[in-house]
Amino acid sequence: MIEVKDLKKDYTDEGEVTSALRGVSFTINKGDFVSIMGPSGSGKSTLVQILSFLDRSTGGSYEFNGKKIDDLSDVELARIRNKSIGFVFQSFNLLTRLTVYENVELPLVYSDVPVSGRKKLIEDAVHSVGLDEKLYVETAKLSGGQKQRIAIARALVNDPDIIFADEPTGNLDSVSGAQVMSILDGLNHSGRTVILVTHETNTAEFADRIIRLRDGMVESDEKVKNPRHSKDEFFK
Amino acid sequence: MRVSDLIKSSRATLKHGKMRSLLTMLGIVIGISSVIILMSIGASAQDYILGQVQGLGSNLIIILPGGTNNGKFSSPAAAQGIIVTSLKQQDVDALGRDPSVAAVTEESRGQATAAFGDNSMVTTFDGVPANFFTVRNFAVQNGYPFTDADVQAYNHVAVIGSSLADTLFGAGSDPVGQYIQVKNIQFRVVGVLAKKGTGAFGIDQDNLVLVPITVAQKQMLGVDYFTDVMVQANDSYNIDFVKARVQNILEQDHNITDPNKDDFTIETQQDVLSLLGNITNILTLFLAAIASISLIVGGIGIMNIMLVSVIERTKEIGLRKSVGATNNDILQQFLVESVMLTFIGGIIGIALGGVVVGLAWLVITKVFAVAWTFEFPLTAILLAVAVSSVTGIAFGIYPARQAARKSPIEALRYE
Ligand SMILES: Nc1ncnc2c1ncn2[C@@H]1O[C@H](COP(=O)(O)OP(=O)(O)O)[C@@H](O)[C@H]1O
Ligand SMILES: [Mg+2]
Repeated sequence: MIEVKDLKKDYTDEGEVTSALRGVSFTINKGDFVSIMGPSGSGKSTLVQILSFLDRSTGGSYEFNGKKIDDLSDVELARIRNKSIGFVFQSFNLLTRLTVYENVELPLVYSDVPVSGRKKLIEDAVHSVGLDEKLYVETAKLSGGQKQRIAIARALVNDPDIIFADEPTGNLDSVSGAQVMSILDGLNHSGRTVILVTHETNTAEFADRIIRLRDGMVESDEKVKNPRHSKDEFFK
Repeated sequence: MRVSDLIKSSRATLKHGKMRSLLTMLGIVIGISSVIILMSIGASAQDYILGQVQGLGSNLIIILPGGTNNGKFSSPAAAQGIIVTSLKQQDVDALGRDPSVAAVTEESRGQATAAFGDNSMVTTFDGVPANFFTVRNFAVQNGYPFTDADVQAYNHVAVIGSSLADTLFGAGSDPVGQYIQVKNIQFRVVGVLAKKGTGAFGIDQDNLVLVPITVAQKQMLGVDYFTDVMVQANDSYNIDFVKARVQNILEQDHNITDPNKDDFTIETQQDVLSLLGNITNILTLFLAAIASISLIVGGIGIMNIMLVSVIERTKEIGLRKSVGATNNDILQQFLVESVMLTFIGGIIGIALGGVVVGLAWLVITKVFAVAWTFEFPLTAILLAVAVSSVTGIAFGIYPARQAARKSPIEALRYE
């Protein structure tokens, strides 16, 4: 479903060029759980942003479900982001003045789901991260772990095929981090593709496969021998 | 993005920063309310001025000496301060003989000081025939108007206006039977006119003394012409027909064959009304245009705050784009916010303007006892709503485009 070849990304900032990606190639299939690792500045976030259509590459090719990204307009990319992709950020990115309900509603606002159909979808998404009782609470009042679970509910509400998570446990304590990983693991088991950026080996090993980056290039791309599973750890 | 979502999210944002929203609106509120106030008061002033002219009576035709230069676009010579002597007694007689004319009355005016004892006042003395009081609707409240016999006999009798009476004799006292001096002539006061109040353009209509026209012409002014002549049309004739008749009669009388060379100007009340109406309309529009400058200032305030808001909400923009918002969705969201600000500001401005206009009406009618109408024109309200919304779009479009152009990753990296 994802195929990148010789993917490159140069940032130009006030005349200074930074090459964040210098030719990255790999294929990710539907239902895969892939971790991307690498030192800080190695290009992990850049890669995930391009894969999730938040940004465009400056070289190489990217095919998503058989379609070349270069052929798609910004509006088409926005539609794919809305319908097929869920994004989980390290810093949650919730609108703190809004309630849980309104935050999770956001992707539906930009989709063609009728207003009357939203409530059920939002309740289901919030239920799947175990925070039903917080539905009408302002997100500013939640703990970090709860915020990240709400962010996952938001990523889920439009029933996407792929979840991108850029260091989702980076700002969390170990218990909350374990809960978040357990949810992501569960999502992969229910058939969704999960692409996870992390620099903790423990966390990375929930995946079937780890791609390591260094200086904008793939250093290694290996299967995980015994992927961790944590179904039983969550909600304990 | 659905309209309901746009409105919901804009409302939430404006409510979240209530104080800021209110302050931002203030410029629009002031701008719209000043436009409303000026247009309303302009409409009332117009009513008032036209009402004063209508007081003359709808079947009156005014004849002023001197022609208008080229027929239409300039005022008669007499109104420009040039002394023209073209209207004389034979004209009055000729007009009086025509069946379409119910009555003719004329005046010869001058300025002089009127004195009683140590009190004096500069006033207008107005030589008039006895029918002047009925034709021009000058009610005598105290005493009697002078008669035809007084006019024929050159009697030194006078009817004075109420403010002149108050100045010379003191408020509340009865001047009838007393003698006042105007231009070295002692006049016996035989009547006091009913109060007319301040007229259009602030003229005190009660500072005058009416004397027999014979006395005014021969003994005070030394002239044989009139300042103006007024014809009361016979009610069974169309006013425009009578106007044409009057023109014919005067042209014959003055041996004029080319109407462009008329040495007099005829105006009906309708002519004066439409001229005054035009003048007051232009004045009102001019004032409203000045007031709308404050709307521009208000609009710049909106633009300023929206630009700040775009920067503050960079992360929100990035997030919205990451969950599927297009540039257009973001543009609409910010545009709806600024239009909502100006629209609500406009509504508050209309309400505030209404309150001020109402208070002004109360004070003018109750405290100053002037017959002032309450005007709150629908056109002004519609204009205000339209203008405030357009202001929102005009000054909101730039910030909204800035917001829409933000790339999602730039926006998400922003701390
Ligand atoms: N928007 C940007 N403009 C300029 N340089 C950038 C931008 N984003 C990332 N970079 C640079 O690109 C390189 C890769 O960054 P990033 O992808 O964030 O790495 P990682 O997520 O692995 O820490 C770094 O050198 C970083 O400074
Ligand atoms: Mg990163």
